[in-house]
Amino acid sequence: MIGYILSRLIRAVATLLITVTLVFLFIRFSGDPAAALVPPDAPQEVIDQYARAMGLDQPIWVQYTGYVGGLLQGDFGFSIHTGLAVEEVFLARLPHTLELGLTALAMAIAIGIPVGAIAAIRRGSALDRFVMAFSVFAFAMPNFLFGLLMILIAALVFGTFLGGDSASVLWPALTLGLAAMGSFARFTRSSVLETINAPYMRAAEARGVPFRLRLIRHAAPNAAIPLVTLIGLSLGALVAGSVVTEQVFAWPGVGQLLVRSVATRDLAQVQFLVLVVAFTMVLANLLVDFLYLLIDPRIRAS
Amino acid sequence: MSLRILTASALLAGSVALPALAQDKPDLVIAVDNLWPTMDPVIGISTTGARVHSNIFDTLVRRNRWEDPDGTELVPWLAESWKQLSPTVWEFTLRDGVPFHDGHIMDAEDVAFSLSAERLWGEEPLAPRGTRYTRGFTRVEATGPLTIEVETSFPDPNLPFRMVTPIGFVLPKHYYEEVGTEAFGQMPMGTGPYRMTSFDPSVGVEAVAFEDYWAGEPPAASLSFEIVPEFSTRFAGLVAGEYDVVVSVPADQVDALDGTPGVTVMEKGIENYPMFAFNMLETEALPDNPLTDVNLRKAMVAGVDREAITAAIWGDATFVPTPFNFPEYGPYYDADRERAVPYDPEAAAAYLEASDYAGEELIWHITRGFYPNYEIAAEFMVEQWADLGINVKIELKDNFSLAYQRPFHLLNMSMSSEFSGDPYRPLWMDWGPQSSRFRAAHKTWDMTEDFVALGEKFEQTLEFEARKQAYLDLVAEWEDVTPGMYMWRNVVSYAISDDLDWDPGNSAVTIFDHLYVGGGDG
Repeated sequence: MIGYILSRLIRAVATLLITVTLVFLFIRFSGDPAAALVPPDAPQEVIDQYARAMGLDQPIWVQYTGYVGGLLQGDFGFSIHTGLAVEEVFLARLPHTLELGLTALAMAIAIGIPVGAIAAIRRGSALDRFVMAFSVFAFAMPNFLFGLLMILIAALVFGTFLGGDSASVLWPALTLGLAAMGSFARFTRSSVLETINAPYMRAAEARGVPFRLRLIRHAAPNAAIPLVTLIGLSLGALVAGSVVTEQVFAWPGVGQLLVRSVATRDLAQVQFLVLVVAFTMVLANLLVDFLYLLIDPRIRAS
Repeated sequence: MSLRILTASALLAGSVALPALAQDKPDLVIAVDNLWPTMDPVIGISTTGARVHSNIFDTLVRRNRWEDPDGTELVPWLAESWKQLSPTVWEFTLRDGVPFHDGHIMDAEDVAFSLSAERLWGEEPLAPRGTRYTRGFTRVEATGPLTIEVETSFPDPNLPFRMVTPIGFVLPKHYYEEVGTEAFGQMPMGTGPYRMTSFDPSVGVEAVAFEDYWAGEPPAASLSFEIVPEFSTRFAGLVAGEYDVVVSVPADQVDALDGTPGVTVMEKGIENYPMFAFNMLETEALPDNPLTDVNLRKAMVAGVDREAITAAIWGDATFVPTPFNFPEYGPYYDADRERAVPYDPEAAAAYLEASDYAGEELIWHITRGFYPNYEIAAEFMVEQWADLGINVKIELKDNFSLAYQRPFHLLNMSMSSEFSGDPYRPLWMDWGPQSSRFRAAHKTWDMTEDFVALGEKFEQTLEFEARKQAYLDLVAEWEDVTPGMYMWRNVVSYAISDDLDWDPGNSAVTIFDHLYVGGGDG
């Protein structure tokens, strides 16, 4: 078991290091960050002055070692545009993104899982077919299209605006959570179907355990294993926010910040955001791996 | 660094004794696609910054666009008057009693600082992006409580025109020095009609009416710029009454939106002209460049029907300019002057025949989505060139620094005709010895001797008639060489609520003071 934990930890650190390096290189080779600060026809002297100020006149390995050295000391750098510490800018956005992401995840869980379970229990019924059709729609519908349709219909038909500063979190959360809702419903359905027909369920039935109790005590824990993976991954993606949904609803979260930072070549900001996203993804994966240890005795045994 | 910004916010907040009083005035909300990340009006020189700057700051001199859309008349603003003391020295006399947003009264020290070598034109200045407007500056000095002198290394008859550009914005020296450059850009202070209360570069700007504004009561109680990246969302907000003005209506949606009840769409020509430059140089990356041949360049210019393409794409929102002949230049503008190389397929074929071109592929670097409708027009042009036998391939690039990477034969660009009072900027600054066309790593031409000689003559000639002739001679040389081709006057589009009476004139600068809101009678 210690080997299992160690190998997962080493993998996590390696993933982070590779991510940091790739981002560092990509953003420098996809266009001159200093040139992004000035108009297209700016004189070279002005571009050079910005490049010096940003340390971009240094050889790339000096920049890289400086950057990684800074990271190890907790210095993530400053936004080239605003001079603010990048982690502060991120923390200011984070509550919005968590509000949106957690609401979306809660909606996806609260609707997707029960609906999927009901579909499995009523397998083959009209309700089952309806739920499956819904889940395919929910999963297949691009969220920018769904969000825009909602916004436009609300404005043109009902005269209300669902985006911007003062709007409710429910609409962007529904947009963001829709696909997860669909996939949760499908996974729950197949997972519950699998367990419902398992030998231990028949055994329980033979022992005279009532139907509801069979579902809660026996089917649910077994059906939960694949769902834990799914929810864990969704949790990891939370911090990245949703680039698309935040753009469409003008939701001032991390996703919007990321798009903007990439567009303006704000080096330190992009590097920090990608690092945070990678870190939460890796962390979520680790948690899922360790959670398996708790809920799946087969892994503990190996 | 964040502490300094907090200090800046606290200083500004503390300076407000009274809340805004005018309850019956509207709260204006402008939905924008983007804002520049700093609100220093020189570091933030950009279309997205210019939406905000003039509402927070005032310039020394202003253009009157509320009566004349092209704004050819100069209006004394923070400078009450100006005069030329000698060929190289101008004196500006400032308006008395103009308060900054913290109540501090503006004086010559503030103006001298705003125009100083330290801030704009010295070695490693605080705001290096203003150098193009300070060319030739050798001295800026407060000579009295309300007078400053500006000296240049060469006689500049049009110096006051530079004071309408972003360098003309007056900043409070005491506040700037207290908080520093970066914090100032995050919480700026000026003398303008609105006082900024919050700024987040990825969310927006909030400002309230400055009740002590010297020029007249601001027409709105508050002014917000909200960043809404997606156009459909901006539009929905406008229809639902959440926004009063929406910027950057995509060119292909103008017609569809114009019929929406309660909404007016405005298309405005602005002082910027998209074009492309021919790469006329043979470099390591491009050893055999067929475009060194002027006949091929002229064949390409004569071979595209720009009028038809522009009309098809833009309707009557814009026009194809004769090189450097722009309506915003008042007396220099000649509506009857025609292009030296007009659309003429037969002439194009003859030029091509006279060239050594043998069907080589010519690469056109275009920055994706930067100039509205540019890619569509480019596709039309490529087809017309193909009909002639000229093989042009479009390569879309994600940003300018990628577009500038050689090899390329054609390079997208635009020329600003921004105010210098005459065609000096687009013609001599943008193509002459100081220009990036000639000096930058992505340079596209070497000036001819005639161009240099005529340009120097133009620069040195101050009397109007002679200067106009020198300008026409220089344009004739430019057209003879044909180092590029103009496409149209750039257009910006706004959608506004019918409840708002506002017109920005032919400009991407948005101002919501008493002159621009309410038909200029405020």
